[in-house]
Amino acid sequence: MHLFINKYLTPYKWTIALGTLFLTAANFFLVWIPVLIRQTMDRVEQLNAEQSEVLSLFDTLFNSVQGSILATNALYLVLAVCGYGFFLFLTRQTLIVASRKVEYDLRNDVLHALFSLPSVFYAKYTEGEVYVRATEDINKVREYFGPVIMYSINTITRAGFVIAMMYIVNRDLMVWALLPLPLLSLFAYWITGYIHKHSIIIQEQYSKLADQAKETFTSIRLVKAYNKEESEQRKFDVLNEEYKEKKLRLDLIESLFHPGLNFLIGISLIIVIWKGGQMVIAEELSIGNIAEFLIYVAYLIWPVAALGYTTNRFQKSIASWQRIKVLFEAYHDLEQDKGSHTDDLKGNIEFRDVQFNYPDATVPTLEHLNIQIKAGTKVAIVGRTGSGKSTLVQLLPRLFEPTKGEIFLDGIPLKNYSKRSLRDSLGFVPQDNFLFSDTIEENIGFGIKGATMQDVEWAAGKAQVLDNILDFDKKFQTILGEKGITLSGGQKQRTAIARALIKKPKILILDDSLSAVDTKTEDAILKSLRNDEIKVTVIIISHRISTIKDADYIYYIEDGKVKEAGTHEELLSQKGSYKSMYDKQLIEQELQTI
Amino acid sequence: MAKTLKKAADKTLIKRLYFYIQPFVGYIALAIALSLAVAYLGTVRPKLTQIAVDDYIAFDNFEGLYTVILLLFGALFGEFILLMVNTYLTRWFGQNALYSLRSAVFEKIQSLHVQYFDRSPIGRLITRTTSDVEALSELLSDGVVAIIGDLFRIFFILYFMFSMNWELSLVTIAILPVLFYATFWFKERVRVSFLKVRDQISHLNSFVQEHINGMKVVQLFNREQYQHEKFQKINQKHKEAHVETIFYFSIFWPLVEVFASFAMALIVWYGGGRALMGGVSFGVLLAFIQYARQFFQPIRGLSEKFNTLQSALASSERIFEVLDTEHQINTPDNPSVLKNPKGHISFKNVWFRYNDEGNWILQDICFEVLPGEHLAIVGATGAGKTTIINLILRFYEIQKGSICIDGIDIRELELSELRTLFGLVLQDHSLFTGTVYENISLGNPEISMAKVKKAAEDVEASRFIKKLPGEYEYVLQKQGSALSMGQKQLICFVRALVYNPLIMVLDEATSSVDSETEALVNIASKKAMKGRTTIAIAHRLSTIQDAHTILVMHKGQIREVGNHHELLEQENGIYRKLYELQYKDQSVQV
Repeated sequence: MHLFINKYLTPYKWTIALGTLFLTAANFFLVWIPVLIRQTMDRVEQLNAEQSEVLSLFDTLFNSVQGSILATNALYLVLAVCGYGFFLFLTRQTLIVASRKVEYDLRNDVLHALFSLPSVFYAKYTEGEVYVRATEDINKVREYFGPVIMYSINTITRAGFVIAMMYIVNRDLMVWALLPLPLLSLFAYWITGYIHKHSIIIQEQYSKLADQAKETFTSIRLVKAYNKEESEQRKFDVLNEEYKEKKLRLDLIESLFHPGLNFLIGISLIIVIWKGGQMVIAEELSIGNIAEFLIYVAYLIWPVAALGYTTNRFQKSIASWQRIKVLFEAYHDLEQDKGSHTDDLKGNIEFRDVQFNYPDATVPTLEHLNIQIKAGTKVAIVGRTGSGKSTLVQLLPRLFEPTKGEIFLDGIPLKNYSKRSLRDSLGFVPQDNFLFSDTIEENIGFGIKGATMQDVEWAAGKAQVLDNILDFDKKFQTILGEKGITLSGGQKQRTAIARALIKKPKILILDDSLSAVDTKTEDAILKSLRNDEIKVTVIIISHRISTIKDADYIYYIEDGKVKEAGTHEELLSQKGSYKSMYDKQLIEQELQTI
Repeated sequence: MAKTLKKAADKTLIKRLYFYIQPFVGYIALAIALSLAVAYLGTVRPKLTQIAVDDYIAFDNFEGLYTVILLLFGALFGEFILLMVNTYLTRWFGQNALYSLRSAVFEKIQSLHVQYFDRSPIGRLITRTTSDVEALSELLSDGVVAIIGDLFRIFFILYFMFSMNWELSLVTIAILPVLFYATFWFKERVRVSFLKVRDQISHLNSFVQEHINGMKVVQLFNREQYQHEKFQKINQKHKEAHVETIFYFSIFWPLVEVFASFAMALIVWYGGGRALMGGVSFGVLLAFIQYARQFFQPIRGLSEKFNTLQSALASSERIFEVLDTEHQINTPDNPSVLKNPKGHISFKNVWFRYNDEGNWILQDICFEVLPGEHLAIVGATGAGKTTIINLILRFYEIQKGSICIDGIDIRELELSELRTLFGLVLQDHSLFTGTVYENISLGNPEISMAKVKKAAEDVEASRFIKKLPGEYEYVLQKQGSALSMGQKQLICFVRALVYNPLIMVLDEATSSVDSETEALVNIASKKAMKGRTTIAIAHRLSTIQDAHTILVMHKGQIREVGNHHELLEQENGIYRKLYELQYKDQSVQV
């Protein structure tokens, strides 16, 4: 594994060392159990040969030399067992607990990287990919820190002690007993690999099944309206059948797993009895030795099988770590956020010959873009979906940096401002008006540190959402999202607007954030913005003529370039794209005259 | 008392689950017979070892040893084969039973009334169909058979032990009660801490998920640090929950090992003593040492399986709760048949609310749409416009009044016949994952590709469909589709037309459709409405102006009825106000 990962182990190196010591000690005690059993049996054999008279059971156990030998050995046995158990407890408490701590550190670091990574990074990967890295992959890497390390140490120390003992007792029998074990390891490696690979396939099929159920259930009205129940059932059953088939294929391999392991283990034991038995007959070995070896083999089985399992897990951990590493490397390349503050910002904005390409995109999204926005004015940006409007406004808070050209804020290049300070003075209402599954208060207060209830109410009022919130049973404490209630589109948009307004921003950006708000409410929101003592610069993206037409200036964007610019009246008189868009919105009238 | 009730409930659950494995009852019998053989072959081996030692090794009999080794190998190989067959067999009928159960749950949920879906979060319904059924997999496949197998094993081990030496057997199992107690203790603790772990994992994951989705917002609002601190707290709790579980495991597993070895120590001590007296042979000692190890496996297995069975029963309880849900909207036993339907709709004094305590959503609604006429419903969100559509389709049952089609109360019609009358173009959730063709034909084999193409050309939807990669075979995704809102609506229009419904139900898009498709949508809706009884929740001025009747709804009541001109003449009328606010822009040019 990459050296980088081991930096997470460094803080716990003493814990791990201690854990290794405990595990070694545990195995040291363990190996005495078969030795003591053999010794006892040998003693019994020896005493049996010497002894002439037969004692009662009570006398044999409690009242004789032989009895005390037996009792001493049994006591030692119990002590060895307790020692083993005690150290095993300590091992788990050190090694596995340490692995959870490492996981904790790793999770914190991954999240820290995620919070710091720029939008360019998120444009490169899908949300699903990032999510898997931040969850599943961390789990897999933890398995390296925890079980893999523990099992490896266990296999090494236990095999070391056991094989050493076998070697001392009888070299030939050792070779025979160990013979099938590598096979066991390979078998476990192969099967766990197959199971893992197949589980992913099954997981995918399972998701398909769940997706189908989700789709049918969410479109239930349509399903019913079109009497589509039967065909939905057929679709579901096809996936259901596929799922069953795939499951059975895995079941076939899994049916091989335990019987197979059991078989290989049994072979080892039979070999010990067979070869050992021959040696006993040849008087090279005692029956106690057979018992001893049987137990040795039993002790080796799980560590050896775990070896196969561990190797497999280890490979998975590496693959996962490679994926997580991408996050850290991207984080590593980040520059520190420096630059000037925006305290006395006026809000004059200029895009000068700006070009922007998304990572890996062949065609630029914005090209030779020139826009000027005067402080305190309301500027509208219109254009078709995909024309680059949203990208354009995302350059202002420096979510993305222009590929070419320069943006100026109050005459100073945007990149000379610190991101933090820049974002503090911007109010941004993103297109998807994302809200967190938290209380409404938290969501609106998200905009500033230590928002008071007054601030929150003020912002909600300005965004025309106060009445809606007060209608809820829990008012501002209403929880949104999965565990709470679902807001309507318009309520969501207005809550997102409140979140931006609470910051009292100098520049407000509304990225198509009034689309689900009716015209009346929209009017009220826009008016309340104008009433402010401080003149806010407003950049508004919209499709709706009623939203746009009062703007001080309108830019019509097409293919990442400014195609037309001017006031509503000016643009209408230009008779260009804006005019035709406007006309199309009035198309009903034309159709009427047909 | 409560316990016996619970037991009785469990019994009925098991009885009902049995229904799903009943078709495989012959295989189950076979599996049980196989388990018996496997248990015997697995436990006979230490006994054979004893014979090898006492009868042959002790007497230097090479040949005899060889025979026993062959027997041992035979038993091992037989166990291997039978165990494999048995495992697959149980899995096989288990998967088949799960298949039918899953299918049954899906079918049941799908058939339930719409209100059921309003009340149950979709996530829960999906869980019922998938993971709750999945949780039964062990119960329905190897669970019960494995329990029987474990019992057989315990039986055979006891049999062999007692047949060799009953005293030593009693000594060996003396440790059992302690082990049972330890297992019980452990089970309780671990169950609780596992629940905690599960909660924490889902907390952690949903936090991560949500913040990846909303990363832009976090960064735009400079909340990185604050949210990270929030995460650390969740992460800390997650860690603690795990560490607690580790603690119980680190006590339990060593403890089990200690107990198993403790039994061995007892055998050595007591058995050794017995051996000294000549009562116990070395072979017996050897066999007992092996049995002591073997004995704890099925016992541990039993306690684990008991656990999974418990949770499986909990899942099956939830599943049967769904399967037992009663349909609230049923086709009557002797449904009336609409002969030659014309499309005459009437609402007579309709009152509706979602439940007995709730507010009335619709109050005393009366209107009539004559065959071929158009009705436009206007009003603010929450006025009850959509509810009217839901009621016509009988998604909900009204409390008072009646809704009739061609004079027949819709409650007297067969549900599917009623719904076939309608063509729907709704705003949301209108497309399925599948090709354009499938979305239009809705899997109806009678609707050919040619028919679909013809209809698409009629409304000029073919213009954009032809630009899609694969045209009519282009696969639409429910989410993240490349299609615009307007294009999606066009597809719905084509679908409605292909089905040639008697009555059109239209819910026009509120947010403006991109301008290019806007015109197409207009043409399409004109075509779709032409000559058909139409009920439209209208936002487009043309739809409203052309309607024969306009209903202005406010808070569940009809406030104004009339055509465009009549309504405009009402001073202080809602329609007039609405018109001025919302539609005046659109009419400026004319």
